[in-house]
Amino acid sequence: MPRLWKDKMSDGAKYNPVTAEIAAELAAIVGDSYVIFNDPEKLEPYSHDEVADKHYAHMPEALVRPGAADEIARIMKLANKHLIPVTPRGAGSGLSGGAVPVFGGIVLMCDRMNRIIEIDRANMMITVEPGVVTNEINEVLRSTGLFYAGYPMSLETCFVGGNVAENAGGGKAVKYGVTGRYVTGLEVVTPTGEIVQLGGKLVKDVTGYDLVSLMVGSEGTLGVFTSITLKLMPLPQSNVDLLVLFGNIHDAISAVPRIMTGGIIPTAIEFMDQSAFVAACKYLNETIPYQQAGAMLLISVDGGDAEQVQRESESIGEMCLSAGAIEVYVADNHTTSERIWSVRRNIAEAFKVFSPKQSLEDIVVPIAQIADMVDRLGELSGKWDCPIPCYGHAGDGNLHATPVMNPAWTQEEWEHKLQAILAEMYQIAKSLGGTISGEHGIGSKRKKFMPAVMGQEQMNMMRAIKRALDPACVLNPGKIFDL
Amino acid sequence: MRIIVPIKQVPETNAVRMDEATGTMIRDGVEAIVNPLDLYAIELAIQLRDQHGGEIIAVSMGPPKAAAALREAISMGVDSGVLVSDKAFAGSDTWATSYVLAAAVRKIGAFDLVICGERATDGDTGQVGPGIAAFLDLPVISYVSKFDSLVQGACRVHRLVENGYELLEMALPGVLTVVKEVAAPRLPTLRGKQKARKAEIPSWGAKDLDVHADKLGLAGSPTRVVKIFRPSVARKCVKHVPTDERTLNEAVDGLVGFLRGKQLI
Repeated sequence: MPRLWKDKMSDGAKYNPVTAEIAAELAAIVGDSYVIFNDPEKLEPYSHDEVADKHYAHMPEALVRPGAADEIARIMKLANKHLIPVTPRGAGSGLSGGAVPVFGGIVLMCDRMNRIIEIDRANMMITVEPGVVTNEINEVLRSTGLFYAGYPMSLETCFVGGNVAENAGGGKAVKYGVTGRYVTGLEVVTPTGEIVQLGGKLVKDVTGYDLVSLMVGSEGTLGVFTSITLKLMPLPQSNVDLLVLFGNIHDAISAVPRIMTGGIIPTAIEFMDQSAFVAACKYLNETIPYQQAGAMLLISVDGGDAEQVQRESESIGEMCLSAGAIEVYVADNHTTSERIWSVRRNIAEAFKVFSPKQSLEDIVVPIAQIADMVDRLGELSGKWDCPIPCYGHAGDGNLHATPVMNPAWTQEEWEHKLQAILAEMYQIAKSLGGTISGEHGIGSKRKKFMPAVMGQEQMNMMRAIKRALDPACVLNPGKIFDL
Repeated sequence: MRIIVPIKQVPETNAVRMDEATGTMIRDGVEAIVNPLDLYAIELAIQLRDQHGGEIIAVSMGPPKAAAALREAISMGVDSGVLVSDKAFAGSDTWATSYVLAAAVRKIGAFDLVICGERATDGDTGQVGPGIAAFLDLPVISYVSKFDSLVQGACRVHRLVENGYELLEMALPGVLTVVKEVAAPRLPTLRGKQKARKAEIPSWGAKDLDVHADKLGLAGSPTRVVKIFRPSVARKCVKHVPTDERTLNEAVDGLVGFLRGKQLI
C-alpha cells in the first residue's frame, strides 16, 4: 500500500480527470448553477491564491460551491470513487498556495456556507459556517459585549474557515494568541466523506486525542470544516494605538523586548522597516512625516477600563521615547486608529503594485532573537543584492521578510536566486531557534523547505496521520509534504 | 498671529446608524470625535502659527463632553481651548450656533483669523463659518483650498470653485472656511496628549457671553424641522443583455441612440 500512495503523491498524473459525467454528478449534488466546468475563463480565479508569483498557480478542472455538509460528504465520496483531487478553498487570501489545486481536479469553494449558526451568549460561544468573512463575526457580535479575538491582516476579506485551516495568526497574537486558541468545536467532513463532530462548547476537554487541534492548521488536508464553534471574550471597551517613529531599525527592534518585559502585555506590536512603511504611505497618500523615520512600531493596548488603558499606553509610549523614538503618535478613537493601522495592513498590497516579483515570507523566531534575525536579514539582503523589506508581528517574533526582485535581474536569475535566498533565510531562522512559517502555512509554496527545519521522524508522523485519514489521498494532495 | 478655530464634536461617522422610524441618528453608544473636516482647519492654523508665531485657541459649542474634542485639538498642537456650554444652547440651529460662537470669539478678544472646517459631517450645512463672519461683520472666504501668503494686513488664499480656483485677498481680521486640500492633518502625539490632559478648559455659559436669551437654543432658532425623510434613489436603468448577434446589434444601437439622445456623442 505505501507504494501506491507514493506513486499518487509524486505524480499528479495518477489522478483521473473530471469528465463531463463527473461534472454532471457534481451538479446533481450541489445544483447546476453551483458548478463551473469546462470554462477556463471562469475557473482561472480559482487557480491561485494571494501568492503574487503566478508560477505557483494551477488550473482546476471544476469548481463546486456546496451549500451544506452532506453535499460535501457526497463530493468526497465521489472523489474517492473516481480518484479525483479535491482542494478546499475559502476566500483565496492565503499566502502558501494552500488553496491551489496543484493536481487539478475539483476546487471546493465554501462561500455559500456563510451563515452565523448560533450566538450563545450564556456560553460565550459563536458557531459559524466556514464561509463567514472574519470581520463580520465581530459586526454581528457588536451588541452583545463579546468579541472574537482572531485578527488576521486580511480580516476584511478572508473566511473564518480558511483562518482555522491555516491556524491564522495576525496582529493581536501577542495578547490573544492565534486562531486555534478559540476553536472549541468543529463539524468536519472527513477525506473519505464522513461527517464528524469534534469538540463542542467545552472550555476544558481532554477526552481522547485532541482532534480539534489536529484539524486546526491542517491546511485543508485532513478535513473540510462545515461548522466552527469559537470561544468569545468580553469586548475590550477601550483601545489606544501608538504609532512610534524611530530613527533606525536597531532602536525600534531593541525597544520590543523592553516593552514586552515592562509589565504590560500590549495587544499588538507591529514592526515596519523603512521600505515597508514608505511603500504603504505612498500607496495610501499618508502624510505623517515618515521621511525622517528609519523604522516604525505600531503598538496597541486594550482593556476594559479607559483610564487604565490610557495609563498603560502612555507608559509604553514613554518606554519608546526613552528607547530613542523620534515621535509617538496616539490614536484613541476609531478614525485615527484606522488611519494608522491601514498603513500596516496595506504594506503587502502596496508592494504588489510596486512589483509582483516578490516572495512574502513569514519566518518566526523567539521574541528575544528578533533583533538578531533583523540584522542577519540585512546581511542576507546585502550579500545577494536583493531588497528584503521586513515588517510584521515583532511582539510574537513573526516577521514578514519579503525578498523583492532586483530590477537588474532576469526572470530566470530571480527564480534561481530566490530559492537560494529563501534557503539561507530559513536556515538563519532555524539557527536562531525559529522556523519557516509562523502563520501563512506550508502549502505547496514552502513544501520543499520542510526537511530543512523538520526531522525525518516528525515528517513520518505527519505522513502517517495523513494516510490514516485520507487513504486515497484525494483531499488537497501535494501540500505540506510529499507522502 | 492669533487664530481662533471653532470645532464641533460629532459622532464617529462609520459607526452611525439611523433610526428607521424617526429618520434621526442613533447617538447612543457611538464614539464622539472631532468633526473630521475641522482637522484641516486645525492643521492650517498650526502651520500658520509655526510659520508666523502667535497662538491658536480652539472653541467648541456643545455639551460638557465636547471638552474631549478640545483636548484632541490641543494634543495636535492647538495652544488652548474654550468650551461654550449651557443648557440654554441646546437645540440651536446654524443661526443660533453662529450667534453664540460669534459672541464667544468676541469675548476671546483680538485675533487675526477665524478658521473653520468646511462643514460638520453630522449636520452637513456648511453655514456656521460664514454665519460667524456675518455676526462679527467680518469678511469671509469659504472653500479655501490653499493658504498662499500673508501680505501687509491681509491674506491671499486660493478658493475652490466649480471650474477651478480663485485667488483672493482678504483684509484681516477675517474668517476662512477650508476644504480638505488645504493641509494634511497631523496625528496627535504622546506629548500633545499629556499637555491636553493637563490643560484647563474654561466653560462659558449664556451669562458669560454678550447674548440675548431669546436668541438662544431651540426657541431662538428660526429653523424648524418639519419632516425628516430618506430620499429614494431612483435610477432609471435600461438593461440590454445580448444573447446572439441580433440582440447584440440591438443593444449597441440602443446604447448609441441613448448617448445621442443625451447629446453625449
